[in-house]
Amino acid sequence: MSDAIVRIQSITKLYKGSVQPAIADLRLEIPAGSVFGLLGPNGAGKSTLIMMLCGLMMPDEGSIRVLGMDAMKEGGAIRKRIGVAPQELALFPTLTAYENLFYFGKMYGLKTDIIKKQIAVYLEVFGLSDKARKRVHTFSGGMKRQLNLIAALLHDPTLLILDEPTAGVDVQSRNILLDFLMTLKAKNTTIIYSSHFLEEAEKICTQMAILDEGKLITQGIPSNLIGDHGDCTTLESLFLKLTGKHIRD
Amino acid sequence: MKILATIKKEALLLIRDPGGLALIFLMPLGLVVVMALIQDAPFKDYQETKLEVVFVDYDQDSLGNKIQNAFLQSPNIQFVHYSDSNKARSVVRSGRYKAAIIIPAGASESLRKKNKQLIARIFSNLGYPGASADSTVLPATNIQVLFDPAIKVNYKQALTSAVEKVIANVQSEWIVDQLQNQLSGNTSPKGKMKVDFTKVLHVQQQYASKNINENLVLNSVQHNVPAWTMFAMFFILFPLAGNFIKEREEGSMLRLRLISGSQFPVISGKFLFYFGICLLQFVLMTVVGIFIMPMIGLQQLVLGNNLGGIFLTACSVAMAATGYGLLIAVFFRTPQQALSFGSISVVILAALGGVWVPVYVMPEILQGTSRFSPLNWGLESFNNLFLRDASTLAILPDVFKLISFAIVTLTFSIFIHKSRTIS
Repeated sequence: MSDAIVRIQSITKLYKGSVQPAIADLRLEIPAGSVFGLLGPNGAGKSTLIMMLCGLMMPDEGSIRVLGMDAMKEGGAIRKRIGVAPQELALFPTLTAYENLFYFGKMYGLKTDIIKKQIAVYLEVFGLSDKARKRVHTFSGGMKRQLNLIAALLHDPTLLILDEPTAGVDVQSRNILLDFLMTLKAKNTTIIYSSHFLEEAEKICTQMAILDEGKLITQGIPSNLIGDHGDCTTLESLFLKLTGKHIRD
Repeated sequence: MKILATIKKEALLLIRDPGGLALIFLMPLGLVVVMALIQDAPFKDYQETKLEVVFVDYDQDSLGNKIQNAFLQSPNIQFVHYSDSNKARSVVRSGRYKAAIIIPAGASESLRKKNKQLIARIFSNLGYPGASADSTVLPATNIQVLFDPAIKVNYKQALTSAVEKVIANVQSEWIVDQLQNQLSGNTSPKGKMKVDFTKVLHVQQQYASKNINENLVLNSVQHNVPAWTMFAMFFILFPLAGNFIKEREEGSMLRLRLISGSQFPVISGKFLFYFGICLLQFVLMTVVGIFIMPMIGLQQLVLGNNLGGIFLTACSVAMAATGYGLLIAVFFRTPQQALSFGSISVVILAALGGVWVPVYVMPEILQGTSRFSPLNWGLESFNNLFLRDASTLAILPDVFKLISFAIVTLTFSIFIHKSRTIS
């Protein structure tokens, strides 16, 4: 695939003191403009992979190219062009929504007028305009998640990485979030979407990969993957078939 | 701009943290005032305290009067008159008074006899007609000086030598007097001559400082204001490390890691903000020393003439304190670890550095180790500036140590933070 925005070649990562690698000989390509679902049970290696895509963690073996750049050498340049909404609510609780976003905008190196414009646009999109001057610790889980996502979007990234963006979010907030992701998809923004909500992933992902114990189990278009396994009618049944039903740590 | 944004963010976080604000500004304020008040008496012990001494005069003659008159001029000793030595012993034993002087009955007479015998011997030795040496051994008369067992040794020595000095003076005066009487009685028609006992050689006490206030010495305020201000500056690690680790735990630090090139502005912004807070603490405590301390009956803080040197020292201490706080923040993974280690280490560094008690009071071994405490470098520099009116050149060695300490801690902080940012 020549239009791959992410190209992962045989990477392995073993944490210190661990016997089993977090990522084992993983090969993966993520096409540009896709909404790529990164699925897997706990401990599958999704978060480790995301950290490596951002250049914040180095694989022990193999190579990763993101946006045509070597993640091991050009992590800084990659991070300038990607937006990441981490699983943690990466916000300052005692600052207001506006103060949080303004600070992160500054740290992205954006100009004040652009930051103000972006904040106004995104708060409006998520219906948070009237909450701009409220401190984040007073927000609901859903509002915090939305803010977490906005903080990753301020600099208009080419590649957006979302790690469990809808965890702990109510139905309404989830709906707003997913609708927004669909608009990004329409604008051809590449999204890597890591989630435990398979129904949600099935709905918005154009491509996906299922990982388990650091290995790639399968990869492809969701409907094709389900179709390839005749006894599976949903992504969830496919997921359980491929990863097993035993509970993970 | 990123650094300014970080400074603004840190300011907002601190303003909305009442506990942190109290720790930064109220704790040092309380510490400086309380410690200055508590240590005022012990400091005065050395320099200004009035010692009340019980005086029992069974002699009721010239010697007792002479001793009383001599001590009347002393600013540090005040006599309390008792008529019973047993009572005097009892009040000293109980600790109510620190010392007692008991002049036994006949002490003056005994001294006169001794002098007379001495003069007779001199005359006899010189072959004066009618003079005969009396070889009778006169019984010794003891002037008792009683001490409370809890009295400081230096008081004991000072009082004993003062009494001995007065007795020696009285004895010499009387010898001259009796000698004159003897001589005038024998030869002079003019009668008794007035002898000038004023001293030719004086012992003049002076402090070697060039300060405008040359009588300024290390008092409670001069010690406690800079000492506890520095202690508070090092306690900046509480809000600094607390916020830093909280940001790490809550995930905002992760986002900053995910933003390209944000690590230097994050660290330097934090450093500059808390550096500024340390300077603000210093200014605030200095103002308290100058204006508030005299209002509560303490001495006024005297800064000396080298304001540039003071600013340089304050900046160096602020840098060292912030560097240390950052190192603690990046090194420890949980707030509990960071704050426990941080607070205990600062207390130890402060104790070694002479914050609690001046270094010269410490045992020799501790005086040696105090040289390794950044608080000691700062305190030495402030003492040199405040009390000795030192030049900037004179404080440079301590300033250099403080800045080196700041550079080392900052370098380690950046190195550790970076190594944890990319693994």
